Amino acid sequence: MTTAYCFDLDGTVTREEILPVLSRRVGLYEEISALTEATLKGLIPFRKSFLLRCRLLRDLPISEVQATIANIPLHQNIVDFIRARRDVCYIVTGNLDVWVRPLQELLGCRFHWSSASVVDDRLQSVDHVLHKGDAVKSLRRDFDRIVAVGDGMGDVPMFEEADVRIAFGGTHTPIQSLIEYTDYVTFDDKALCTLLSTQ
Amino acid sequence: MPKCLVEVGGRRIIDYQLELLHSIESVRIVVGFMEEQVIEHVRRIRSDVVFVRNPEFRTTSNTHSLFLATRDLREAYFSIDGDLLIDPASFRAFLDACDGSRTVVGITASKTEEAVFVNLTPDGRSVARFARSPRTTHEWCGIACMSRVKMPERQSTFVYQVLEQDLPLAAQDILCYEVDTPDDLEFARKHFRPC
Repeated sequence: MTTAYCFDLDGTVTREEILPVLSRRVGLYEEISALTEATLKGLIPFRKSFLLRCRLLRDLPISEVQATIANIPLHQNIVDFIRARRDVCYIVTGNLDVWVRPLQELLGCRFHWSSASVVDDRLQSVDHVLHKGDAVKSLRRDFDRIVAVGDGMGDVPMFEEADVRIAFGGTHTPIQSLIEYTDYVTFDDKALCTLLSTQ
Repeated sequence: MPKCLVEVGGRRIIDYQLELLHSIESVRIVVGFMEEQVIEHVRRIRSDVVFVRNPEFRTTSNTHSLFLATRDLREAYFSIDGDLLIDPASFRAFLDACDGSRTVVGITASKTEEAVFVNLTPDGRSVARFARSPRTTHEWCGIACMSRVKMPERQSTFVYQVLEQDLPLAAQDILCYEVDTPDDLEFARKHFRPC
């Protein structure tokens, strides 16, 4: 039986949400943090919230965004788990390809992400916002079983298509309505990886 | 309130259990009734627990909970009912008696209201039979080291009924108190000594 492992990126692999970190550079930390939190709790649909946050951050040079993201703290046990299984691990993130590419280089696995166009080192347009459920569905061709790990309501479409669903509270405490979609809950990245290794 | 959160001697039952398990690297707790409160309480004491959800806890027995917790495991594991107050010294002796190569069944002197009694083999070292009656000197205490025991999914059986298929099984005496009824709780409050 072939098993794929799908990870949300922000707050799951990373120890901080990426967009609030970026927002400090444009003086919009409070605003973007509030939007991010409301999105995690499912109070605002991911697509609308993400497009709004991208608009607020569009003036940041892409090179600056990438440099910031390259230094964002990560859950090291999860990084090690992924790097040891690059062919069967996937990052499923709504975040933009042009922003989070440094993490793809670091993790070495395949990413399903939203895509954007860049002109003169600036975000020109968001061309496609990822639907996490579609990303997981596309893996069905190659895998018998899919394990999904996430922390917010934006991960529900991924959980709905997965066989094993894990809420990971290493950065945020998952809300109860998310937990109700899952099979396991854990708050520690080492315990998470021990659990993943038995799946 | 879930039984594991019942207070005895100023602490919850699960607090005592987590203390006994501090040297066990991987701990899984099956949650069902009031899972949010159990998760919130436990994570404040031990952050690396894996919570296994049994959303069908109202209509399934403890074999299904144990199935959910262990379906992905190949190695031996310890199983402990969540409503037990356990004497630390006798629990350590139980752990010492388990090397993972064989199943070991925890038994205790009969004292609970809804006991599953055990008949021991003549040498007193193994469980020969489980039965609701007649009363015997010892009862199944809800603690076991399971080696190559696969729990069935969505069966209405209890764990001791799954173990029955492999009898005789090694037995180890443990001093513990099950809190199933108000009388059990009163008895445990009178007799349980945490250290």
